[in-house]
Amino acid sequence: MTEAVISVKPKKTGTTLHKLRTREQITGYLFVLPALIVILVFGLFPIGYSIYMSLFNWRVTKGAYVGGKNYLLIFGNWTNLLITLAGIALIVGAFWIWNNAFKSLSKGQTIAKVVAAVIMILGGVIFITGWGYMYDSGNQNFLNSLIVTLYYALGTVPAEVILGMILAFLLYQDIIGKDIFRMIYFLPYVTPSVTSAVVFQIIFSLRETSIANMIIGWFGISPQKWRFEPKPLLNLLGLDLSGFLAGPSLALISIMIYGIWSFVGYNTVIFLAGLGNIPKETYEAAEIDGATRSQQFRFITMPLLSPTTFYLVLIGFIGTFKAFNHIYVLRTPSAGDSVITTSLLIFDNFYKANQYGIATAQAIVLFVVILGLTLAQNKLIGERVFYG
Amino acid sequence: MKRKMFSLIAIIMIAAMVLSACAKTTPEPEVPVEGAVDWSKVTPAKNIVFWHQHTGEAREAAMKTIVDGFNATNEYGITLTAEYAGGYGDIYTKMLALLNTPDVPDIVVGYQNQIATYQLADSMFDMNTVINDPVYGMPQADQDDFIPAFFQQDVYPLYDNQRLGLAPNRSMEVMYYNMDWLKELGYDAPPATPEEFREMTCKAAEQPFSGAKAEGSMGYQLSIDTSRFASWTYAFGGDIYDGTTNQYTLNSPAAVEAFKFLQGLFADGCARLVSENYGDQSDFGNGTLLFTVGSSSGLPFYTQAVDEGAAFDWSVAALPSTGTPKQDVYGASVSIPKSTPERELAAWIFIKYYTSPEIQKLWAEASGYFPVRQSVADMMGDYMTANPTYKASWDLLKYGWFEPAVPGYDFVRDEIEVVMAAVVDNPALDVQAEFDKLNEFGNKTLAEQLEQLNK
Repeated sequence: MTEAVISVKPKKTGTTLHKLRTREQITGYLFVLPALIVILVFGLFPIGYSIYMSLFNWRVTKGAYVGGKNYLLIFGNWTNLLITLAGIALIVGAFWIWNNAFKSLSKGQTIAKVVAAVIMILGGVIFITGWGYMYDSGNQNFLNSLIVTLYYALGTVPAEVILGMILAFLLYQDIIGKDIFRMIYFLPYVTPSVTSAVVFQIIFSLRETSIANMIIGWFGISPQKWRFEPKPLLNLLGLDLSGFLAGPSLALISIMIYGIWSFVGYNTVIFLAGLGNIPKETYEAAEIDGATRSQQFRFITMPLLSPTTFYLVLIGFIGTFKAFNHIYVLRTPSAGDSVITTSLLIFDNFYKANQYGIATAQAIVLFVVILGLTLAQNKLIGERVFYG
Repeated sequence: MKRKMFSLIAIIMIAAMVLSACAKTTPEPEVPVEGAVDWSKVTPAKNIVFWHQHTGEAREAAMKTIVDGFNATNEYGITLTAEYAGGYGDIYTKMLALLNTPDVPDIVVGYQNQIATYQLADSMFDMNTVINDPVYGMPQADQDDFIPAFFQQDVYPLYDNQRLGLAPNRSMEVMYYNMDWLKELGYDAPPATPEEFREMTCKAAEQPFSGAKAEGSMGYQLSIDTSRFASWTYAFGGDIYDGTTNQYTLNSPAAVEAFKFLQGLFADGCARLVSENYGDQSDFGNGTLLFTVGSSSGLPFYTQAVDEGAAFDWSVAALPSTGTPKQDVYGASVSIPKSTPERELAAWIFIKYYTSPEIQKLWAEASGYFPVRQSVADMMGDYMTANPTYKASWDLLKYGWFEPAVPGYDFVRDEIEVVMAAVVDNPALDVQAEFDKLNEFGNKTLAEQLEQLNK
């Protein structure tokens, strides 16, 4: 009798365990199901449907299947794209060689760096050549909008991060009314962008008496056209540069100032949270060792904030590539293409030109560009992040 | 992690390819296609929705009065809900997503080029099918009462002369001028020709108005808007579209001459761009701007700006022209998206009510728009006496001319604005060359749009 019980018991336990595990699995799936459905319906389906639309001559109504033609309109031909991608691949390869190759050899690092530099130059030349071909035979407006978007990202994200970090560091000190300052700095972020952008329209208006012109007037600078100025700032400063090197227009810089104003507060709040996680003892120990405030900031605050910085840079770049509302409000016909970022161009192609197929193809290319940049940042900056 | 992400993207792309390969290439309308309907057998729907863009206290109140009146008095028990659906652009983008679905509003406000775009999807109701119906139609006398040009504007030759809308109001581009300042400058009437306009604007830039309430003095401010492009081209005797060939004529000699003229005014410091939204209106009100060109629907706002500003004597006139004046007349119409015969009929019944004389009078007086029926203008004698600037602009209607009602015009308008801004901003720019490129762009865009008709 006892034997029988003993022989049955393990079997029962196994079944029960299996049932429990199954039940746990089902419960787990049920918990994630609502989120999964939301992500599938509102996240992945629109992406999939956009890809689907981009394969048709889709205007107000769906037209014929055209395969990759809408993409070809961007690149001119596939060879151009391949040349450009080959250039990028070589640059990535050079980066890998710089960090990893010839480590076992004596003087390996020097060799790796020389080889990497050569490959990187070669990759850069091939990339520029491919880009030039695309520019000649593809969609110049789209390619130009990518450059404008890149200017916008490079002109705003670093400034937002640096200013956010400095403000956070200042607000983290024991100063009177720091809570009020925190709120004030965060306000621009929570203000509806369309509303605040309208105020910036007035600040950066053409009038000689506009606020922006008054401010530069204090420094003896003559009134500028701001949002209406399509010329690059460097040209206005007297430098005779053209193409990519000429940099962003004054109109785009006006919009960048809005972007920085709007997002610095958000970065500050996130940095404040990051600062809160740094143990006070670290600073106390450094102080005992004789570290100055600036040394503490450089050798303690900055490294320990690097995960936060990495997050903000990543999110910032993605955000700038998708930025729309305030650019839409602040753009002027006078500024022409100099302020047309890719998201604006896609919107215009979609809603004004009714070129749904072309617009979705452009949106997919933008998506891939953002994805590529995110991966690149992940590789370049992510490895340097100090997690303690 | 990365591998998983690439797998996910790959799955999405493959799914999209499969979906597209399996797809039919012809559109499938989600609502039944309409044939010849016997309206006498159709019962109007009980609840319908009207999407409009009207804001402002006076217009909102008038719209409410009209809707309440309709809901209370119509013999079919129709209840109409009027919804503010954003500006013209917002309504347009919302509509594009809803065409040929049951979710479309029953009545929608739209410019003719927007309606033309909707109709590329064969999604708008042809009012010709009901306008002469013995039961629900509009009596011939009423049709004849409409100002012919307004009535004809919603008939689309591009779509076999279908009537895709009906005008409830119109406005017109006019030139606003400061009469007191003109007198100070030694003139007793607004300019009739471009040469006179140049003389007056340049003089005004040098000699500020004595009653000005702000700093500065300028002859003319150009707002970058395609309707200004059209207005100045018309003023120089040209057109921006040839209806006989269905081609843009943005590089016509008149357009080039007009913008060389404006380019000269800018170069001489007699004119400049409007600095911010409605900046010309506020400068005009403050007495620092002699001339501005804008819509007659802005009359109430100009009145307010002048009353609260420098309080001078002002009025409106035709743009200075090289021959007979030709004024840009525009305005959104009300249209009926295709749905069911019941909803379409109920919508039509409201549109008839909305354009009836008494309601038109109420609407025109509250909104500052022009009425679309001659008899209504006759009924507005007292209003016109009390509002002489309204009367002055109404008297210019005989010079009315329209912008093209073709799909894709919004896209072309954007490009026109970029080019006109560039031209006036840079005296060295070759106007003819720029307008040639612009015209090529316009016709290319138009051809792409019309391809959809030929499918």
